Amino acid sequence: MSDNLQPVPAVLASIRPMVEDNYVFTFVPDRPFSVIPGQFFEISLPGVGNFPVSTCLPVVNGRIESCIRRAGRVTDALYRLSPGAQVGLRGAFGNGFDLKLFAGQDILLVAGGLGMAPLRGLLMTLLAERQRYGRIVLLYGSREPRLLLFGEELVELARQQSITLRFSVDFAADLQGPFGGVICRIGLVNELLEDLQLEPPQTVAAVCGPPALYGCILEQLAATGIAEEKILVTLERRMRCGIGECCHCVAGGRYVCRDGPVFSLAELRSMPGAI
Amino acid sequence: MVGLSFPCCTIQDGLLEKLAAEIAGDRLVWAPRQSEDGVCRLQVINSGLPDHAAVARLPFKKLLFPHREKVWSYHNGQYNDVDMPQRIALVGLPLCDLQALWYLDQVFAEDAHYQERRSRLFVAGALCEPGPECRCDAALMPVAGDLVIGHDQLWALSERAVELLMTLACQMQDESSLPWPEGPVEIRHTITAEDLRAHRHAGIWTAEGDRCLSCGACSAVCPTCYCFDLSDAAEVNGSVNRQRLWDNCFFTEHGSVAGGFDFRAGRAERLRFRMEHKRLGFGELRGMDSCVGCGRCRNICPVDIDLDRIAAQFVTEGTDV
Repeated sequence: MSDNLQPVPAVLASIRPMVEDNYVFTFVPDRPFSVIPGQFFEISLPGVGNFPVSTCLPVVNGRIESCIRRAGRVTDALYRLSPGAQVGLRGAFGNGFDLKLFAGQDILLVAGGLGMAPLRGLLMTLLAERQRYGRIVLLYGSREPRLLLFGEELVELARQQSITLRFSVDFAADLQGPFGGVICRIGLVNELLEDLQLEPPQTVAAVCGPPALYGCILEQLAATGIAEEKILVTLERRMRCGIGECCHCVAGGRYVCRDGPVFSLAELRSMPGAI
Repeated sequence: MVGLSFPCCTIQDGLLEKLAAEIAGDRLVWAPRQSEDGVCRLQVINSGLPDHAAVARLPFKKLLFPHREKVWSYHNGQYNDVDMPQRIALVGLPLCDLQALWYLDQVFAEDAHYQERRSRLFVAGALCEPGPECRCDAALMPVAGDLVIGHDQLWALSERAVELLMTLACQMQDESSLPWPEGPVEIRHTITAEDLRAHRHAGIWTAEGDRCLSCGACSAVCPTCYCFDLSDAAEVNGSVNRQRLWDNCFFTEHGSVAGGFDFRAGRAERLRFRMEHKRLGFGELRGMDSCVGCGRCRNICPVDIDLDRIAAQFVTEGTDV
């Protein structure tokens, strides 16, 4: 399909502050977009620039919801907009998670920091057909308790026994905050892997987090016995064009924007430098 | 060397003049020409077809994939298409450039802007005398374009070129091989993904990378380099133009993400990335060496970095160098 890099006009419908500099934005494009979890969009602010972002909720009634960190010049400009503002959307790009792999399996989601955003999109997609899956375990690590994204919602899902939830935080002076009761660890998220009582042969793992997370946890997951084809990782790169041309996102010889951003550990092992 | 074969015809008296007039038509005709300052540049020519090729320092890609190209404009809430590019002809290109054209055609196969310019482009190659830096290889990849002009023969590379020659009453003959230059002066060295993996942490990346000035000249002059960035420019009437700009894998931030993490933070990593891109390719073109051996990067590099020389060390050493 030919791409002329032109966005579809969209309205910024709502802005929901979640934690400092991590707000949830809802966009309604002029024409509907089909998206699967793990895919991403390019959001254009004409006159400022564009940036890639995933969705944090399945697209319902054409509304696209993204949790966006204020991390650079263009996202900073987005934070200054008010609902009703015009933006542009291109996409969806990338492969997304192959949901067929998840059917009938136990599911282990491992999120670090803002990595919770795309995994929440995946989680909500899975929960829409909860009966198709076995146990769903979410391990979520954040720097501090106050930076946990979607914390209350996740706690509620755990309370309803839809998911098993474990939080970890790198630093915490005390655990009296709203999530004090559910934070299992002060430490790194990979330490939550112990005592999970998963059945590795029938488990699919999906991991999303900062580069430092991937250095240790992927091989740890493999060591538990989960097949390398069923350890799925979404890579963050500087995706400028989204169509496998501009070369900024290339890792291990592959265009993350087009061949990914979701890769299995089996693929990553043959992509030197990707993790 | 033996290259691909194409239908050919003999150059009769007056054919090149008629052909030149037909090609010019409503097109702006560009050819590599030596300027008074000694630099070979693509320039607009008024008449004629060069009977020999030259290597323009800044290659033909600048006409298909301009260093700054408007890809859309935005005004009063509307995204608008850009104007159609002018019809042009490129003549007098060396055969290595016709390979590079083929490669870019693959890279931008689904790019509307490239394809729009490409559909309005007529390309004629010519024979060349290989220079001391040349390492071309007929077997590297196919060629693209319309015509190749030889000493006494013409080769028609495209359907429209065959039709054009027929209208000029040329007698088409059986296919024959393109006349690649005899024996490149230097031997080129190929590398494999396994070579790159084995030498991923070799000292040579740091040794050569430390010299690199990150000037980006090698990528700018490379006929198969195509990294780009997107950037917005506002006009006084309030409209905005989204531009596509040449980017460069030696520049800082090429591999960085929002928040500051850089996946290719040092020049050693960037040099290795460039080697990987040139010699192994990315995405669907993985496994294809895209260095057409024109020698432009070697000639332009102010600190004498030569990917082929680095590749040669891998092949001869066998262990980390």
